[in-house]
Amino acid sequence: MIDTLLSGQLLFAALVTGSLYALIALGLNLVYGTMRMLNVAHGDVVMLGAYAAFWAFTLMGLSPLLAGPVVALMGAGLGVLLYRGVFRRLLAGVTPSTAGKIEGNSLLLFFGLSILMQNIAALAFTPNNRAYAALGEVYRIGGVAMTGNRLAALLVAGGCSIAAALFLSRSVAGLAMRAVIERREAASIVGVDVDRVQGLSFAVGFGSAALAGVLMSMLEQFSPFSGFPFTIAGFIVIILGGLGNVTGGLLAALLLGVIEVYGVALTSANLRSVLLYGTFVAALLIFPNGLIARRVMAR
Amino acid sequence: MFRSDSSRRGVVKAIAAAVLALAVTTAQAQADKPLRIGFSMARTGMLANATPSQLNTYELWREQVNAKGGMNVGGTKRKVEFVIYDDQSKPEQAVRIYEKLITDDKVDLLLPPWGTPFHIAIAPVLEKYKFPVVGNTAASVALRQVKPGYIWFTTSAIPDRIGTELTAMLKAQNVKSVAVLSNVLPFTKEIKNFVEPELKKAGIDIKVSTEYPPDVKDMTAVLTQIKQANVDAVLALAYPGDSVLYAKQAKELGLNVPFQFVAIGPSDAFFPKAVGAPSADGVVTIAHWSPRPEWKGSQAFYDSYVKKFGEDPDYLNSALAWMSLEILEAAVAKNGLDKEKIRATIASDTFETINGKVKFDGVQNAITPTAFVQYQKGKLQIVWPASIATGKYEAKKGW
Repeated sequence: MIDTLLSGQLLFAALVTGSLYALIALGLNLVYGTMRMLNVAHGDVVMLGAYAAFWAFTLMGLSPLLAGPVVALMGAGLGVLLYRGVFRRLLAGVTPSTAGKIEGNSLLLFFGLSILMQNIAALAFTPNNRAYAALGEVYRIGGVAMTGNRLAALLVAGGCSIAAALFLSRSVAGLAMRAVIERREAASIVGVDVDRVQGLSFAVGFGSAALAGVLMSMLEQFSPFSGFPFTIAGFIVIILGGLGNVTGGLLAALLLGVIEVYGVALTSANLRSVLLYGTFVAALLIFPNGLIARRVMAR
Repeated sequence: MFRSDSSRRGVVKAIAAAVLALAVTTAQAQADKPLRIGFSMARTGMLANATPSQLNTYELWREQVNAKGGMNVGGTKRKVEFVIYDDQSKPEQAVRIYEKLITDDKVDLLLPPWGTPFHIAIAPVLEKYKFPVVGNTAASVALRQVKPGYIWFTTSAIPDRIGTELTAMLKAQNVKSVAVLSNVLPFTKEIKNFVEPELKKAGIDIKVSTEYPPDVKDMTAVLTQIKQANVDAVLALAYPGDSVLYAKQAKELGLNVPFQFVAIGPSDAFFPKAVGAPSADGVVTIAHWSPRPEWKGSQAFYDSYVKKFGEDPDYLNSALAWMSLEILEAAVAKNGLDKEKIRATIASDTFETINGKVKFDGVQNAITPTAFVQYQKGKLQIVWPASIATGKYEAKKGW
């Protein structure tokens, strides 16, 4: 038992799960952070990304690793399109007194989008289960068995999540984004182009979701209706990590991955959901602003 | 003002034209008198991914029947038309739909929806309106609680019989120890509850017995435990989603147990695509059908399905759907649309199907044996019981 717990095998599993959670939560967090809009269609973008990778693989024999960047760009394009076409208008007239209304309206809009995406996917692709086998070779590295696709998912998802955290803390555009997340009005007063930042959030948010879908498609089967659980998983991560707090989200995602794998190893697979949601509720009670409460958020 | 008025007039015109077109088509339809067959299917919602193998089979059947000039209704051939509603994966919705199909749409015949809960849910409606339906994709011991009368269940994959047959098969392969991991959803949980006492009775050591929730995302911990237990057989009582997860992670961890039983999923064409055909080879799963020369029409069904949909039919659900259609077809050919006579025929006759003879005893199929199939060189072969086997069981050689 002890050697199982200390073996790299469980750590690898926890990191794969955690990094995918992190990538899914990243986009949700940016859109919420910069615009206070909960994208309930986020998981459906993941689903569409999975389909894109599936078709690229089955029709063109394109490796998901090559399809990944293209699908991510397409996702980003969809995000920008939606922002320009729909959400910019909604956000244009925001004043502090109407802010609450925006949240409600955007939720309805996203909800409608979610239903649209699911049903368009069902019409276009049929509700069949889809899956394909790519990068299925097993590598043994230091006694740990790793399937190529899981290793790839870990590297890409982990890499992108860390890159996003660095982008937010190091680059000018990232700092502008953080400024909008933390103090929207002040940011606009000091000259941050809020409109651009919001568009960028949509691009990164949708692009990262589509990329997560590509990675997920190598690991699981999916159908037009498998998006919603990803939205839920994303919500849990960003609430646990602090809404709008990207670094907090990263840590929360890793924590959930660890609970998912080690929690099950220590107790029973049956308790998986109890452990996950138990941690979630406990964390909310003890740290109502997320694991890493930012001073600015606790205004 | 003028513009808005004209566009309003345009809309009115369009509606009038649509209504007229509709009236014309209805009039034509009544002249041709197609046979209207209704059913609900989960086209959206969490179960939608499970239904295409059944719906495809219905579509294939309609196409073939119409190509032959229509369905034989007591001697006259009538073209078949489907009235389909989406039950959104909700059994309560299916109840309303079947009531509507009978009382409002006044369909001539009904086909069943997908899945056990849906079959059980619509049974009282069928009883109320005395409308016979030959069920297909439902399997549970709970079906025996359904009052016999207007619904019949075609499958022999009932969990208690799976329990005894699987144990007998394991015994025949000289299996001494097993690991059981089960999804907590009803069908697999039911199998677990029936198979474990049988295994104990047979003296087979259950070294690991564990359950997991449907939303499981990682099985590393459980599979590591099973690998260490060093068993002769793994019974992965999984649903389609986790059957893929199981296979992929068993491969990663090198869980090279010779007897690998995976309950639901492998009978569907997506499984070998998801895990890779070499990995699927050797996996044993639940199904009691395979193309077999002794079963008339079985090869033709397989060939036409593959031709139309470009993939294998589900050896369990597609075959069951086709069997139920064959039984209904025979009963209607004999009796026309008289519901009571159809009921009496289904309840008492013996039917020739692509799965051999079928005769109902109460609500259950009394002839078809409970069976298991195994992937061999990319094709599913019946490997148990010997009486209907199309291949010989082979130990799984790694993933």
